[in-house]
Amino acid sequence: MWDGMINGMLTGISTTMIPMNICMVLFGCFMGSLIGMLPGLGPITAVALMIPVTYGLEPSTGMVLLAGVYYGAIFGGSTSSILINAPGEAATVATALDGYPLARQGYPGKALAVAAYASFSGGTISVIMLMFFAPMLASVATSFQSADYFALMILGLTAVSAFAGRGGVLKALLMVVLGLMLATVGTDQTSGVQRFTFGSLELLDGIEFLLLAMATFALTEALSIVLKRDESSDSLKPKMIGFKSLKVTKEEFKQIGPTIGRSSLLGFVIGVLPGAGATLGSFMAYGMERNLAKPEEREKFGKGSLRGLAAPEAGNNAASSGSFVPLLCLGIPGSGTTAVMLGALIAYGIEPGPRMFTESPEVFWGVIMSMYLGNIFLLILNLPLIPYFARLLAIPRNLMVPMILFFSLMGVYLVTFNDFDILMMVLFCVAAMALRLMNFPMAPLLLGFILGGLMEDNLRRALLIYDESLSFMWERPLTLGINLATLFVLFFPMIRSYIASRRNNVKKVT
Amino acid sequence: MAREKVGALVIMLFSIAYGSMALKIPLSFLAQNEFFTSRTMPYALAVLGIVIALMILVMPTADPEGKRSLKEETRGMDWKTAILLVIGMIIYGLVMKWLGFMISSILFLLGGFYVLGERRIKRMLLASIPLVILLWFVMSSLLGVYIAPGEIFYILGVI
Repeated sequence: MWDGMINGMLTGISTTMIPMNICMVLFGCFMGSLIGMLPGLGPITAVALMIPVTYGLEPSTGMVLLAGVYYGAIFGGSTSSILINAPGEAATVATALDGYPLARQGYPGKALAVAAYASFSGGTISVIMLMFFAPMLASVATSFQSADYFALMILGLTAVSAFAGRGGVLKALLMVVLGLMLATVGTDQTSGVQRFTFGSLELLDGIEFLLLAMATFALTEALSIVLKRDESSDSLKPKMIGFKSLKVTKEEFKQIGPTIGRSSLLGFVIGVLPGAGATLGSFMAYGMERNLAKPEEREKFGKGSLRGLAAPEAGNNAASSGSFVPLLCLGIPGSGTTAVMLGALIAYGIEPGPRMFTESPEVFWGVIMSMYLGNIFLLILNLPLIPYFARLLAIPRNLMVPMILFFSLMGVYLVTFNDFDILMMVLFCVAAMALRLMNFPMAPLLLGFILGGLMEDNLRRALLIYDESLSFMWERPLTLGINLATLFVLFFPMIRSYIASRRNNVKKVT
Repeated sequence: MAREKVGALVIMLFSIAYGSMALKIPLSFLAQNEFFTSRTMPYALAVLGIVIALMILVMPTADPEGKRSLKEETRGMDWKTAILLVIGMIIYGLVMKWLGFMISSILFLLGGFYVLGERRIKRMLLASIPLVILLWFVMSSLLGVYIAPGEIFYILGVI
């Protein structure tokens, strides 16, 4: 096993060290930081916006670039959280809890520097763990059959819904179903029958995943800024950060060191779980740190605590690297962003799953090894460039919004060269906007859409193998195990709230 | 009505329409005797969609932000600007083939800036024209992607 790992690492290093790939990691981190920093735009949007750029590239180069964009965007989001209390996405909300008060107290530079160090450490620790766990899981997963894959996909889709939070499970499940419905549009690959094409030639190949990703995220985020009259970016005073203010003292490093270690480990484990992702990673790391803190230190949480800032930053970066484990090993995305990356992998002609480990080792190991480089680049880029990056936040929305719309529409048009796609994007954007206003999440829809085709194929194949019987769901031990995990994940929130309510009742009685 | 219930109702109607359209998916004679056909997955999804939407409709609302209605949620929103931008995108999609990438993109950006309240002509031009030309240059000259000129140039005899 170790030989294989060392060979893989060498393959990864040789892939990453190609000058083109080094440039792409740098470019990805830079663009990710830039896009992720814009209020309202998160890593899903950043990755979706960059996919058209990768279409002319080698798959390994494209994935290296997208991975850089992903963790760059996570870091970029924390900058807008700290400076203007406008998290780019949910994963950086916890960062704003202590980052923004620190900035208000006159330490924006220190807050950004702590966030940069925590992100770097979280990302690096997580990549080391990814390097060990991913090949192990991938080698186990080679024994998986269609039945197991089908069960795994159901687990992934259920997990995304289960982590949706209070009152959100059913809505997320419904969005998954809606995504699966959209995936059935086009020609059925097995029978060649047209489904839901309404006689349109443009729909024969189905709906382009990039089109759906752009419409449901980039376009709706931009329209949402307009609808909600979000002018947070207009209110920033970019001159408030100087290089000197980025200094972090030795004592402060000692204070945040153990926090970063703990949060990184927790973040990685959470990131590996399908559906959990960086948001849960950051909140759980924050919660854990708050619980571990002494009462006097706990008082400072929410008022500008350095530990309260470092924990979610290390947690979300570690979780975002951890979410590559199910993507690279099983071909099952654990989050909305990795779902978009899975779509990109399919578009490159690579079959995601454990076979990628042996059939496309340059992609598998290239992505992992490039993360080391990406984390170093992020630190080098972000520390000196923070004062300049922050000025981007001052771009008025009346220039920013049309540009986001333009890049989103162009991103799709320059790939398909079909003006019908622009109109379809607008249609999906309006529908997605309406659903968002009704508080329905979009990431499960995208996940359902991307996994829809694979799920149907695997179910069909499993039924063929098992003589058209669904008995594989309970007869095959591995499939049964995955199904039990699905049931646990689905009912876990209910069990948790039941236990919590019982505890409250007991407390009231006593 | 709470906003999530409105959404569930819409998706339930969509699921019913989807399920009824699934009935019309053509099947060959041989496929009709198969256990898993092109209709199986759509049927299952339609039923799932209806069941989950019904559950949301019937069960009590658990919206962490309170039982907000759609009207409350959308109060004070800038609908006019958003609708104008949507119309702009539709027009952009319709004229792209005729005016070509460069002219339609510049017009779209200028229109977008104007709708959002920008009135400084110089700033608008500087933010749109160089950006579109740069993108066109990167795509056509550096990446070798052929971007067809607009039909209008052929009609006018320019090309």
